Amino acid sequence: MNFFKRAWLNLTAKWGRSVLLVLVTSAIMLFVLAGLLIRNAANTATSNAKKSVGATITLSANREAAFKKMRQQTTSSSNKQQRPKLTTTPVKLSDAKQIAKLKNVASYNASVSTSANAKSFDAISTSSSGGMGGQTMGGMSSNGDILISGVTATSAVTSFSNNSSKITKGRGITASDAGTNNVVIESELAKQDKLSVGDTIKLKGTTGKKTTYTMKIVGIYKAASSASTEQGPGATDPANSVYTSYTFANTVKGSKYKNTADSVTFTLSNPAKASSVTAAGKRLISTSKYSLSSDDSSYQTVKASMNNVKSFADKIVWLVAIAGTIILALIIILMVRERRYEIGVLLSLGEARWKIVAQFFAEMVMVLVVSLVLAGFGGKFVGNKLGQQLISQQTTTTATTTIGSTNQQPGGGNGQAPSGNPGGSGQPSGNQTGGSARHGHQMTKGATADQSQLNIDVTLLDLVELGGFGLAIMFLSIMIASGGILRLQPKKVLID
Amino acid sequence: MLKVTDLGYWYDRQANSLFEHVNLNFESGTSYAIVGQSGSGKTTFLSLLAGLDKPRAGKIEINGEPINELGLTTYRRSQVAIVFQSYNLLTYMSPLNNLMTAMAITNAKHRGDRDYARSVLRKLGLSDQQMTKNVQRLSGGQQQRVAIARTMVCDAPLVVADEPTGNLDETNTKDVIAQFQKIAHEQHKCVIIVTHEPDVAAACDHAYRLAEHQFKKEA
Repeated sequence: MNFFKRAWLNLTAKWGRSVLLVLVTSAIMLFVLAGLLIRNAANTATSNAKKSVGATITLSANREAAFKKMRQQTTSSSNKQQRPKLTTTPVKLSDAKQIAKLKNVASYNASVSTSANAKSFDAISTSSSGGMGGQTMGGMSSNGDILISGVTATSAVTSFSNNSSKITKGRGITASDAGTNNVVIESELAKQDKLSVGDTIKLKGTTGKKTTYTMKIVGIYKAASSASTEQGPGATDPANSVYTSYTFANTVKGSKYKNTADSVTFTLSNPAKASSVTAAGKRLISTSKYSLSSDDSSYQTVKASMNNVKSFADKIVWLVAIAGTIILALIIILMVRERRYEIGVLLSLGEARWKIVAQFFAEMVMVLVVSLVLAGFGGKFVGNKLGQQLISQQTTTTATTTIGSTNQQPGGGNGQAPSGNPGGSGQPSGNQTGGSARHGHQMTKGATADQSQLNIDVTLLDLVELGGFGLAIMFLSIMIASGGILRLQPKKVLID
Repeated sequence: MLKVTDLGYWYDRQANSLFEHVNLNFESGTSYAIVGQSGSGKTTFLSLLAGLDKPRAGKIEINGEPINELGLTTYRRSQVAIVFQSYNLLTYMSPLNNLMTAMAITNAKHRGDRDYARSVLRKLGLSDQQMTKNVQRLSGGQQQRVAIARTMVCDAPLVVADEPTGNLDETNTKDVIAQFQKIAHEQHKCVIIVTHEPDVAAACDHAYRLAEHQFKKEA
């Protein structure tokens, strides 16, 4: 073990050279640590993002099959003057419950959209709103001025879960509101009509017997500030959107809709299993009547962007490790050449060559230990800076992608739904009064926000991993340089 | 103790050999001088005796065992101590640490004994302060004494020295030669010194002159 002592004596005697070696090694270790930190943080962030963005699958009427059936009826019908009729099947909740039992399904949310007319209060009217009335294809021709979104729970509605809509007073709709006439109204509507939590309002149906329903206000919500009034026939102000239990919305639609929903959105506990859950769900339903589609785009977007960060961090680690090995190897080769005389003396004393190599290695390990401490202090700073730079680039890319994809979603329809309807799947709903398309853009925005920060902390494990990298770099460098030591003949050094 | 049999050495061609068919015996407790003109091959001969190089022909035995069978590294570690003209000390160490390192490498009897190392250095005239200074801050004569002390603390029975007085003044030369004589006679070691200085050769018990590829004993 004498070579340890020699290594120590050499480092302390030539302290200037040792300080330079420590600085060079620290710089290399600093970048390796930054890479490792970013890679580890990206792993954690990806895993967190997976949990936070989630993925959904949506069960709804199979419109494609319904259209096909409608066209077949049209061609076979002798009465050419009869208008074609699109008939879609509402989703049976019993089918939805079967899917809800599948593994990796965390929860589900039934959604029913319909409309009614305000009776005991005034709906907010916009100058361009007309009475052209919603979709007529399903035969539900009437369109009320209040848009009713029946849900299992408002907390499961995307606009609420990502905080673009907020309950400001009272509470939201929950599963326990099933079978009640409880309602959550928009704050502007509440202000306009001086309504508050606990008050009752009346709604009048637009179809059949045009029943009047007495509703109890249990909560007031503030819609997203970005929600704008849609112009055009049948459009209504977003403030006229109210949330009720899906059972009430079904009652308004008619008795035949009992225990059904326009669509049911299932939230998955593991977004990576979206495809397998969809496949398993399809085996439980009649695919000619229903469609089951997955929406894990947010998850995929986040996964892709975080994988980019991880891949970049991996490249940093390897690039710095390789460059570091080359730099250190060159330094050590120069050092060995400078120490030929010392090597010759040691060889003449009968020192084994491997012990001379071990002495150089021990010197570098001592340098490495000091460098690890320095890199440990500096690594967090550099890692944070690099990580934030990477994340800001990735977030910009993701946001751009999200906006692009949102614009391509099927939108419009007659009337306007509260932004970010359940599941946000973009599924067109079938036989609904005042039907509206679903916009799911808010979910991806939420996911992007979640990945805007990387948690970069230097842990003991990071330092151990860095130490491992450092040792490997030192070992390789010494091995490359030791070729000169092993070939060195003491006579050539000391006598010739 | 050290037996050289039919030894020969050349660089490129045997025809240009430095020496051939050399047969010599070196005994313990005796000092030997190897003299000869510059370039005659006396340092090369010494490097063969020191195990720093391999002979082209013949063999060297120590206590009846060929040194190539012993292994040159093992031979250098356990059987031979070398003193060079340029001292060849470890420059980043103090005299004391140089001795401690040599004792550790050669696995000497007094390995790890700092007091012993100090006592040897004191015998050679170094003060306690000088012992802990960096060797490069000592004079040439003091450095050579450290190199000699290094051979004394190792248990090697053979001491070879290449021009040990080449960089020293007259006083230091006399002092160094006296030390070598002590090593030979008091420590009962075999001391072989390569020199071109007649005074040094004269001080040794025996002298051999290398001339015309052969060693001849001087009177």
